[in-house]
Amino acid sequence: MLNHILFNLIQVLVVMAFAPLASGVTTRLKEMIQSKRGPGIFQPYRDLWKLFHKDEIVSEDSSWIFRFTPYIVFVTPIFVTLLIPVLTNYPLFFAFMGDMLGAGFILALGGFFATLAAIDTANPYGPVGASRTRMVGFLAEPVFMIVFFTVSFVAGSTIPYIVQEKWVTPLANFFLPSHVLLVLAFLMLILAEGGRIPVDNPTGHFELAMIDESRFLEYSGRGFALMKWGGQMKFFVLMIVFLNVLLTPWGLAGDQTLSAVLLAIPFVLFKIFCFLLVLVVIESSLSKLRLFRIAEFLGAAFITSVAAMIMQVFLP
Amino acid sequence: MSDTPDQLLDNLNALATGLFLLTAFGIVAMRQARGVLNLFILQSLLLAASAALLGFRHHSEHLYGVALVNLISKPIIVPWLLRKTASAEIYTRREVDQVLNIPTALLIALGLAILSCFLGQPLLNAVAPEFRGPNVPMGIAGLLIGAFTLSVRREALPLLIGLLVMENGAFLAGISISRNLPLLVELAIATDGLIIVFISGVLIRAVQKQIGTTAVGELAGLKEVTVEPAEKEETK
Amino acid sequence: MSVIIVLLLPLVAAALVCIPFKKYWASGVTVVSSLATLILAARVAWLVSDGNSVTADLSVGWLKWVAVDGLSALILLLIAFVAATAAIFSVGYMAHGNLQPGKLRLYYINYNLFVFSMLAIPVLAEPTLVWMVVELTTLCSALLVSFENTREALEAAWKYVVLSLMGAGMALFGFLVLFAAMQASGSDDDYTWTNLIAAAPAMPPVLLQTAFLLILIGLGTKVGLVPMHTWLPDAHSQAPSPVCALLSGIETTSILYVILRLFPVMQAAPNSHAETWALVLGLISVGAAAFLLLQVKDYKRMFAFSTVEHMGIILTAVGLGASVAGYGAMQQIVSHCVTKSFCFFAAGTVLLAVETRQIASVRGLILQAPIAGAALVFGGLAIAGAPPMAVFLSEFSILKAGLTQKHYVATGLLAIFIVIAFFGVMLHVNRMVFGAPDSSGDASSPQRKNGSTLQRFNASTLPFSCRLALILAAVPVLVLGFYIPQPLHNLLTQAAAALTR
Repeated sequence: MLNHILFNLIQVLVVMAFAPLASGVTTRLKEMIQSKRGPGIFQPYRDLWKLFHKDEIVSEDSSWIFRFTPYIVFVTPIFVTLLIPVLTNYPLFFAFMGDMLGAGFILALGGFFATLAAIDTANPYGPVGASRTRMVGFLAEPVFMIVFFTVSFVAGSTIPYIVQEKWVTPLANFFLPSHVLLVLAFLMLILAEGGRIPVDNPTGHFELAMIDESRFLEYSGRGFALMKWGGQMKFFVLMIVFLNVLLTPWGLAGDQTLSAVLLAIPFVLFKIFCFLLVLVVIESSLSKLRLFRIAEFLGAAFITSVAAMIMQVFLP
Repeated sequence: MSDTPDQLLDNLNALATGLFLLTAFGIVAMRQARGVLNLFILQSLLLAASAALLGFRHHSEHLYGVALVNLISKPIIVPWLLRKTASAEIYTRREVDQVLNIPTALLIALGLAILSCFLGQPLLNAVAPEFRGPNVPMGIAGLLIGAFTLSVRREALPLLIGLLVMENGAFLAGISISRNLPLLVELAIATDGLIIVFISGVLIRAVQKQIGTTAVGELAGLKEVTVEPAEKEETK
Repeated sequence: MSVIIVLLLPLVAAALVCIPFKKYWASGVTVVSSLATLILAARVAWLVSDGNSVTADLSVGWLKWVAVDGLSALILLLIAFVAATAAIFSVGYMAHGNLQPGKLRLYYINYNLFVFSMLAIPVLAEPTLVWMVVELTTLCSALLVSFENTREALEAAWKYVVLSLMGAGMALFGFLVLFAAMQASGSDDDYTWTNLIAAAPAMPPVLLQTAFLLILIGLGTKVGLVPMHTWLPDAHSQAPSPVCALLSGIETTSILYVILRLFPVMQAAPNSHAETWALVLGLISVGAAAFLLLQVKDYKRMFAFSTVEHMGIILTAVGLGASVAGYGAMQQIVSHCVTKSFCFFAAGTVLLAVETRQIASVRGLILQAPIAGAALVFGGLAIAGAPPMAVFLSEFSILKAGLTQKHYVATGLLAIFIVIAFFGVMLHVNRMVFGAPDSSGDASSPQRKNGSTLQRFNASTLPFSCRLALILAAVPVLVLGFYIPQPLHNLLTQAAAALTR
C-alpha cells in the first residue's frame, strides 16, 4: 500500500522532471536535422528557472480565470499521471480513480481553462487561438471517442493496465488490424493535440498563424512558466499513454520493488527518445497544413480509427 | 503450440486487409495524382502480402502464384506503363479535385465499408469455415469504394485508379474464397489489368491532346437534347 | 481443330496487317481472313447442328478450356458473319476518309483483335477466362470507338471504358463467388459451364444468387441494360459505322450470351429468382429504350437505343421461361445480329451521303441518295419488326410463348413497348427518307440550304464494297423472315436447349 503511494509519487516526479527534457531533446534533434546550432537540451529548464524569477504582469481587466488557469493547466497532467501506467504494469494507489476516458477528460479540462483564459483578456490574438484550438479539439474529440470505444471492444475495459496487457497476450494480438490502425489514429491525434507540425508549428513566432501558442501570449513570469511546464507535461503524458498503453507495453516494472520501478525509468525514457526521433522525422518531412486542411487531417485520423473499429467489431 | 503461428498469420492477414481498406480510403481522399498512384501501389503490395500469407497459412501454391503475379504486374509494370503513356498527367500535375469535399467523400466511403461488412456476412456464412476471414468484406469494400471513386472523381487518372481498386477488391475477396483457380486464369486476369492501364493511358493522352484537359467528368457533349455543334468533324 | 483455327485467323490477320504494304493490303487481309473465319465458323456450326462434337481432339493441356455446343456455335457463326460483312463494308467506308496509311493500319489491327476477342467468348468454357475476353473486347474496341479522335468520340470512348470496366470489376467478383459456390458444393471438377450446371443443386443458394446478381449487373452494364445503359448510345454512335455494326450487332449479344449461360445453373438451384430478375430488367430496358427512341436527335443513336430495346427483348424472353421462349430468344438473337449490322451499314451509307448525324438535317434522302434512302427504310422496317423480316418472326414467337405461359401482363407490356419502338424508329426514318427537303433542317445546317452539297454524294460514288456489304447483310434479314433452313433450325433448337437444364 505504502510503496504504491511512493511509486505513484515517483511517477509524478518522473513526468515533472523529464517533460522539459523531452521538449529540449526534440528541439535539439530538429536543429541537428536542419544543420543548425541551437541551445542545448537543457534549455527548457533554464527557461523555466528564469521565468519563475520574473515578475508577473496581469491585465487588470482579467478575471480570476486568468489567474487560476496556470495552476489548472499545471495540475491536470499530474492528475493524469496518477492514473496511467508510467513505470509499472500494475495499478498503483490512485489508479482506481479513473480510466483512459477519465484521463482524457482531465486533460480536456486543462485545455478548456486555457481557452477561457485566452479570451479573458482583451488581447485580439487570444480568441483567435482559442477558437482554432477548439476547432481542432472538436474534430479530435470523436476520434478520441472511437479510439477508446475500440479499445474497450478489444480489451473489454478502458482501464489502461488491462488494455496494455491485452495487446501482447498472445503476441499475435500485437498484429491485430484494430491495434495497428488504432496506433496510427492515435499518432495523428498526438500530433494534433500536442500542436505538432502538420497541424500547428510549436516553434512558430507568427501570431496570425499560431494555434496553440497564442493562448499563452498574455502570460508572463510564473504564470507563463506554469503554463509552459504544464504543456510540456501534457505532451509527455500523451506520449506515455501512446507508448506504454498502445504501442510498446514492454519494459515496465512488473515487480513491486523500488529497484524495479527505478530500473523502469531508463527504459521508458529510451522509448520516449525513440518516439521523439520518429516524431522529428515526421515533423521535418511534413509542412504545416493550411488551417482548413486540418479538418482533413483529423478526418483521416477519424477514418483510421473507425476502420479499426470495423475490423474489430464486424469481422470474425 | 501449433495454434499460435496460425493465429499470428491470421492476424497478419487481417492487418493486410485492414491497411488495404485504409489505402482505399486514401485513394478516395488523396489530392495529388502522384499520391493516388503511390497509394495504389501500396494497396497492390498489401494484396500480394495477403495472398502470400493466406498461401502460407493454407499451403496453397496457387496463392503464391497470385502474390507473385500481383507483385510484378501492379507495383512495377503499371507505373511504368503510365509513365510511358500518360506521364504528363501524373508527374507534372500536382492537385486534382473532386466533386464532393473530402470529409463528405470519406464519410460516404466509410459507410460503404460498414455496408460491405453486412453484405459479406451471408457470403461468409455460406462458405466453409476455413475460408472465413476479413478478406471478403474488405474486398467488397474495395469494390464499392472503387466504384464510389469513379463517381466522385472527375480526372482521368484517379478514375483509372478507381477501376484498378475495384479489381483489387474483387481479387482480395477472391483469394480467400476461391483459392484453387488455375494459374492460367490468374495470369490472364493480371494481363488484362495491364491492358486496361495501357489502353486508358493511350486514351488519356488522346484526351489531353485533343481537348487540353483530363477532367473527363466535364465532358458532357453527348446527350439527347443538344445539337452537336461541329459538323465538319463528322466524317473523316 | 477448326475452332482453334477460327480463333487464330484474326490474330494472324492482325499480325499481317502490321506490315506496311500496298494501299489495300490491310483491308484485303482483313476481308480474306474474316471470310475464311466465316466459312470455318459455318462448318463448325454445321457439324454441331448435326450433333457432332468439334472439340473432341482438344482435351489436352490448356485446350481443355475450349468447348463448343449449340449455343456457342450459334454465337460463333453470328460473330463471324457480322465480322465478315463489316470487314467488306470497311474497305469502302474507311477509304473514304483519306486516312494516313498508319492510322488505317491501326484501325485494322484493332478490328482484328476486337473480332478475335469476341470469337473467343463463346468458344471458351471457363467462366473466368470468358470474363477476361469480355474485358478484352472492351479494351480492343475502345480505341475503335475513339478512332475519329473528335471530342465526342473521345468522350464516348472514355465513358465506354470506365463504365464497362466498372461492370467488369463486379462481374469478376461474381465469377469468383460462383467458383467459391462450386467448391462449397463439394465439386472438384474444372470450373466450366457444364460442370457448373452439374454442381448447381448442391451449391449454397446465397452464393449462387450473389454471383448471379453481380454478373447480371456487371455484364449487364456492357450489354446495355437500362439503368446501366448510358454509355451505349454514345459509344455506338461515335464509332465508325462498321465498328458500330460490330459493337451493336454482336458485341452486346455475345456478352448477353455469357449471362444466358447462367440461367441453366440458376434453374438447378432451389427457388432462385433468376427469371424474375431477367423479366424485370428486360422489361425496364425495352420500355425505357422505346420511349427514348421517340426523342432521339441522331440517327446512329436511334439504332443504338434500338439495340438496348432488343437486348431487353431477349432478356425478357428468357425471363418468360427459357424452356418455352428459348427458341424465340435464340431467333431474336440471330435476327437482331443480322438486322442491326445491316442498319448500321445503312446508317454509314447515309453518313457518307449527307455528312451529318442529325435527323433534323436530313430530309428527302430518297431523292438525293436513293441507295442510302432505300437501305435506311429497309433497315428501319427490319429492325422495328415489320412483318416479312426476321425480327418480326422472332418477336412474334416470343410474344406467343409469353401468352402460352400465361404471363399476360409482361407479354402485354412487351407488345406495347415493341409497338412504341416501332413507331419511334419509323417516325424518324420516314422523316429522313420521305420528308420534303429543306423544310425544318435549315436552322442547324444553313450551309445546306439549297441542297447542292447533298448532290455531291450519290449512288454512283458509293463504293462497291459498301454496296456488296449491304446486299450480303440484307439477304439473311429478308430470308430468315419466312424461311429458316433446317441446319439453322437444329442449331437454334440446340441453343434453346442449352438455356434450360
